[in-house]
Amino acid sequence: MVSDGLSVACDSMTPLEHYPVVDLGPIMKGLAIGGLGIVHVFLAQFAIGGGLLLCSLQWLHMRGGCPLARRFIDGYFKVLVLVSFVLGAVTGVAMWFTSIQVSPRTIGVMVLEFHWVWATEWTFFCLEVVSGYLFYRYGPRLPDATRLRLLGLYAFASWMSLFWINGILSWQLTPGGWLESRDVWTGFFNPGFLPSLLFRTISAAAIAALAACVLINAVPGFSREDRVSLVAVCARPLVFMLAMPFLGAWYLGVMPADSRGWATGGNVPMTLFLSMAVGSSTLIGLYAIVAILRQRLFVNGATASLLLALAFVATAGGEFVREGVRKPFTVRQYLYSNSIARDGVAVLRARGSTTDDPYPVRDAASYANEQLVLGARVFRAQCSVCHTLEGVNAVVELAGGWTIEQRRINIAQLQRTKPFMPPFAGTPEELEALVQLIGWIAAGRPTSWDLSHDGHVLDEIRRRMDEAGTGPGNPAATLAVHRRDGLQDAGVRPGGPP
Amino acid sequence: MNAIFPTGFTAPTALYLSLFAVTLVVHAVFMHYVLAGSTYLAFGRLMGPRRCAVCGWQSILVDWLPFATGLAITAGVAPLLFVQILHGREFSTANLLLSHRWMAILPVLIVCFYLLYLQKSSWLARRRWVWRTVVASLACSGFIFIAWSWTENHLLMLDRDAWAPLYESGALRYASPGVLPRLALWFFSAFPTLAIELVWQGRLLGLDVTRPPAAAEVVLGLSPVRRLALAALSGAAGMTAAGGLYGQTLTAVDREALFGPLGGPWLTVAITGLVVQSGAWVAAAFCNRMPHGLGVVTTVGWLATLCGLVAARESIRLVHVDIATLAERHATAASISGFPVFLTCAALTVIAIVWCVVAVRAGLAR
Repeated sequence: MVSDGLSVACDSMTPLEHYPVVDLGPIMKGLAIGGLGIVHVFLAQFAIGGGLLLCSLQWLHMRGGCPLARRFIDGYFKVLVLVSFVLGAVTGVAMWFTSIQVSPRTIGVMVLEFHWVWATEWTFFCLEVVSGYLFYRYGPRLPDATRLRLLGLYAFASWMSLFWINGILSWQLTPGGWLESRDVWTGFFNPGFLPSLLFRTISAAAIAALAACVLINAVPGFSREDRVSLVAVCARPLVFMLAMPFLGAWYLGVMPADSRGWATGGNVPMTLFLSMAVGSSTLIGLYAIVAILRQRLFVNGATASLLLALAFVATAGGEFVREGVRKPFTVRQYLYSNSIARDGVAVLRARGSTTDDPYPVRDAASYANEQLVLGARVFRAQCSVCHTLEGVNAVVELAGGWTIEQRRINIAQLQRTKPFMPPFAGTPEELEALVQLIGWIAAGRPTSWDLSHDGHVLDEIRRRMDEAGTGPGNPAATLAVHRRDGLQDAGVRPGGPP
Repeated sequence: MNAIFPTGFTAPTALYLSLFAVTLVVHAVFMHYVLAGSTYLAFGRLMGPRRCAVCGWQSILVDWLPFATGLAITAGVAPLLFVQILHGREFSTANLLLSHRWMAILPVLIVCFYLLYLQKSSWLARRRWVWRTVVASLACSGFIFIAWSWTENHLLMLDRDAWAPLYESGALRYASPGVLPRLALWFFSAFPTLAIELVWQGRLLGLDVTRPPAAAEVVLGLSPVRRLALAALSGAAGMTAAGGLYGQTLTAVDREALFGPLGGPWLTVAITGLVVQSGAWVAAAFCNRMPHGLGVVTTVGWLATLCGLVAARESIRLVHVDIATLAERHATAASISGFPVFLTCAALTVIAIVWCVVAVRAGLAR
């Protein structure tokens, strides 16, 4: 048994925790969590930006800069409560529950390591809800000074909520010194924290400004002149989008080199999604600065809705990239995408990834032999978080066309086959069972299927696995860890032992 | 387990148990209001359009239920966090086993939340009574479904032997004799909470039950305070009956936890609180008003019941987990820094929330 010799802070972790794995049929789990996450982030940023925008509008109103602001604020806040306080709050809880459905160990690690940060964020969430509801309920009857203070408190609380969550989310990709120190504040104020926080703050302000442009057209009672003057004021935060390219570049700069590589050409879907985010943001920024702010063109409801839809596309693209570039990890250098501890791979190659799994395979009788049942268990433990058997991102689609030898080699050296895949973390017998399962399904699930227990085949699989090592496959990822650990770069092969 | 909950454990375990119990009580304060309030509203709608029009409690509930739901969800986040520190493995497993059925609580919650807003709208007020009844009944049914799902989830967490067979069967429902009585116990316990909360809320909103009722406030021959007394006493009676039934479903180990040194004192507190608040409600029904002092006594009794129930509930859970593993995990969790930051922010938030309320009251007074 050859380990890659890299020592990181997760050596005391259990290699793999067994849970009853949920089967979403043809739907990839990433689609469920990703879809929900995009909606939640969009709504949350709308709430955060909305607080900042309304607070500044109230301030302007009190200084005579926007006479219509008071009426508009009350209308906007009703929408904020109906959309963000209901859908935003419940999708927040839904994110938590869906994370458990998809990867209970990942969310478990995030909760354990940052539970006081989550708890602190919760205190601001309470303040946000109470101050927001009080404003919604009594705002129209309150004097201006009280309204400003209440809105200020609401805006502060909602932004602080972003502040705390942002630290945890950015830690997943750039845990920085936390890997050695395990200090919560080192992890929280990680290299990605600040660019991500500033970027998200500007995104939130932009989303809120665009939503305001939609509402200005939707709220009855405003004349055309009223709308023009309100749009001119509400669109001002869009000017901050000028800073987005610099912040984006900063964020890309602090990303691990291999993650940056995925987003900038190394992985086509991720590059496309990044382009989608950048393209949509550019279109919004250009239109806002040239047409709305410079030429003072009127933005009608249809145009404003289109711009808001583009902002949703930008959010979706950005969130997809943020989630995707962590591969093959879910917590960088700590936990692989399939929730296997980085240093646990070697243990599982000796012990097996299904040995301690107490959950039987459903419909085990429908498989042609016991080896295929084992293959199903292996798939469940190691692949099912990102792949389906025959649906979206199906292993049979990806590997069904390979020859049996190709399947054996490619899975044994998975991190070399695709550098954003984690290494295979099981015994040769488990690998062969998975290979057989893919072949059996690709063959149309025949009722009889030969067992494959050839000792030479298993030895060859073992040799291939040892050759690839237990570390991640990307050269940049491996080298970065070696540098950190003071090892020589020379002689380090991608994914292999030094 | 020879000491009263949450003592008798290591300091980190006791800390997380206490935080979980306290935040769960806070969550229950709002969650009970929503569950019992939506039921009261649906029941009231079924009484007919005239009667529900003159019931002041129904007006208050229609107006405040959405806010209470928001608070219940917000307050529910903290116990959700601490239960994952305390019993993360069990909680995740139960969620995964119930799978889509469990996840259904989220869309149902969204629908119910919007139905509460719909009930407030002038649009629905202009519709026929039957539509208002349908909306109220749907919201109530949705909240009961959510309560049922939580009950099932909790009991499944405790039943490790059922995990593998349930997974293999692919069933999305956990059938256990304890589910219905336990659901009934928590459902009925929501009514005393609602009743006392409405007493205090009514005083702030002009439906003051410390004074004798006006003739116009009487519905079905019952004054506002008697309607609350009826709700509270029905809830107390239902709790007693459901608690007795639930007790029958407990194992010998569960009973030892519940009646022994761990949960026994808390069960006594809960029962004493129930007796005190029931007595106070009977007195209020006889007087046809709830004087301030009696309100305080009822509140103390209610709070004792709620705290006692939560602690007794956790005592039963603790006999189902491996305390040594738990202690190790909690020691790890407690070694992670951030507690002082949380405490400071919590204190500042409480101050800010109080300030918000005071500022709004002062602003409205101006």
